[in-house]
Amino acid sequence: MSFREIFLSPFAYEFMRRGMLSALLLSLSGGLLGSILVLRRMALMGDALSHSLLPGIAVAWLVFGASTPALIAGALVAGLLTALGSALLSRLTRVKEDAAFGSLFIIFFGTGVALLSRLPTRLNLEHFLFGSILGISGADLRLTAAISAVTLAAFVAGRRCILLETFDPVFYRATGGRGGWVHVGLLTLTVLNLVAALQTMGVVLSLGLFLLPAVSAYLWCDRFGLLLACAVGIAAVCSLAGILISYHAGLASGASIVMCLGAVFLASAVFSPRHGVAGRLVASMREHRSVHHSRD
Amino acid sequence: MSANHNILRFRDVTVHYGRQPALESVTLDIPCGSLTAILGPNGAGKSTLLRACLGWMPLTRGEILIGDAHPEHALPRLAYLPQRHAVDWDFPITVRGVVEQGCYPALSFWRSPSEQERSRVDRAMEELGLTALSGRQISRLSGGQQQRVFLARALAQGADIFLLDEPFSGLDLAARDELAHILVSWEAQGRTVLAAMHDLELVRRVFTRGVLLSTRLVADGPLAAVLAEPSLQAALPPREAARQAEAAR
Repeated sequence: MSFREIFLSPFAYEFMRRGMLSALLLSLSGGLLGSILVLRRMALMGDALSHSLLPGIAVAWLVFGASTPALIAGALVAGLLTALGSALLSRLTRVKEDAAFGSLFIIFFGTGVALLSRLPTRLNLEHFLFGSILGISGADLRLTAAISAVTLAAFVAGRRCILLETFDPVFYRATGGRGGWVHVGLLTLTVLNLVAALQTMGVVLSLGLFLLPAVSAYLWCDRFGLLLACAVGIAAVCSLAGILISYHAGLASGASIVMCLGAVFLASAVFSPRHGVAGRLVASMREHRSVHHSRD
Repeated sequence: MSANHNILRFRDVTVHYGRQPALESVTLDIPCGSLTAILGPNGAGKSTLLRACLGWMPLTRGEILIGDAHPEHALPRLAYLPQRHAVDWDFPITVRGVVEQGCYPALSFWRSPSEQERSRVDRAMEELGLTALSGRQISRLSGGQQQRVFLARALAQGADIFLLDEPFSGLDLAARDELAHILVSWEAQGRTVLAAMHDLELVRRVFTRGVLLSTRLVADGPLAAVLAEPSLQAALPPREAARQAEAAR
C-alpha cells in the first residue's frame, strides 16, 4: 500500500473527515482535562462519571427525541447529580466518598441501560456504549468544537487557579482562592467533554482519550505546562493513528484509538528514563554497584 | 514601627468544632518581628489558632486583628506553610515553578508577573539558596531544600507574618539545623513567625517567645517564663515531659 492509500484516501469520505476532526478536537480538551484528573487523583472518578451519563441521555431521548441540546442537558444533569450526590452522601452518612461514587454511578448506569433498551429507534445500545464515528453529524461536530473551545478558554483563563488548587489547595485557600468553585468547574468541564466524546468513543471508552495520554505524559514530563502539551500531543497522534487503523482494519473507532493510546502508555511505563520500570531498574542497579565498589 | 508594636492581636477568641470547644477565650498579643512557638498537648488548639488567623475557622466569639485589619483583609501579609505530608512531591513542577506561585494571588488571569514580581521571586530564591536548583523537579531535593522552597514561596508572596504548622516534623537532623538557622535569621529582619511546635529542644534553640495553650491560654510571654510554667509538664506529651524532667535534674 502506498503512503497515499494509507494516509490520504480514507479522508476522501465525509464521515472520515468529520471523525478525524472530532477526534482531534477531543484530543485537545481531553489531554488538558485528563492531566488534571490524573494529578488530582480523580482518574477512577472520571470513569464512574462517564458511565453515569447514560440515564440522562436516555431520559432526554425518550422525552425530547434525538435533539442534541436535550441530550447534552440530560447527560450534564446526570453527571452533576452523580458528582454532587456522592459528595452529599459522604457528608450526610457514614459512607466514604469513593464508595458513594461507586454506588451511585452503578445505579445510574444500570438505569441507563434499562431505559436505552426500551428506545424505539434503530440506534442500539452498542452505539452509546462504544461509539461510532459513522454517526457524527455536522451538528455533533459543531458541538464538539464549542465544548473544546470552552475547555481551552477555561484552561487559559484559569491556569493559575487550576494549578494552585491541584498542587496545593491549602495554599490556594490561604491566599483567598475558592477551591470549591475550581473543583465544580473542572467536574462540569469533564461532564461536557464526556458528552462530546460520546459519539466517537462511547460511554465505556470515552475516558480513555482523557486518561491514557495524561498518564503517558505524566511518565515523561517534570513541568506542568509541558505535561499538558505532551498529553494533548499524544492524544492527537494516537487519535489519527487509531482512526486510520479502524478504517483499514475494519475495527471500531473508539477501541482502535484506545488501543493506540494503550500501546503508548505501556511503552512509557517501561521505557521512560526517569519514571519508568527500565529507568528505575538501571538506577537501582547502578546504586547497588556503587555500594559494592565502595565496600571494596 | 516600634519593635514592640503588636502585629497580631487575639481578643477573647473562641472556636468550636461542633459542640467541642477547640479554643476558649484566648486573648493574646504577638509583637511584630518576634519568633513565637505555640506549645501544648495534642488537641490543645495549636493548629486551630493558626487556621483562625487565616480566617478559615468561624469564630464563635471574639476577634483577631492583623495589624489593624481582620484576617480576610490581610491575606497578602500572611503566609501559611503546609505540613510536609500534605504535598504531592511527584507533582510535575520545578523549584522556580513553586516559588513563582507566591505571585499568583496578586495576578489577574490575563497578566503575567511584572518585572518587580519576577525580581521578588529571584530575591526569595537567592536568599534561601535555591538559585542553582531553579529547574529541578521538587522530589529530587533534600528535605531541607524542600522546606526552603516553600519558605521562598512565602517570601515571594510578599508576606511578613509566617504561620508554620509543625515545620520541623519529618525533617532529618541536617534539615532541622538548616531551618532553625533560617528562622533565627528572619527575626533579625523583622519578620514575624508563629509556629505550632512540640519539640522543646528546638523551641529553645530557635524561638524567643512562647504561647502555652490547653484550649484556654495557659501562659504567654518571653520563652523562659513560659517554659518555667509548672503546668507545662502536664501540657506536654509524656515522652517530652519525661525528657523535660530529666533536663531539670
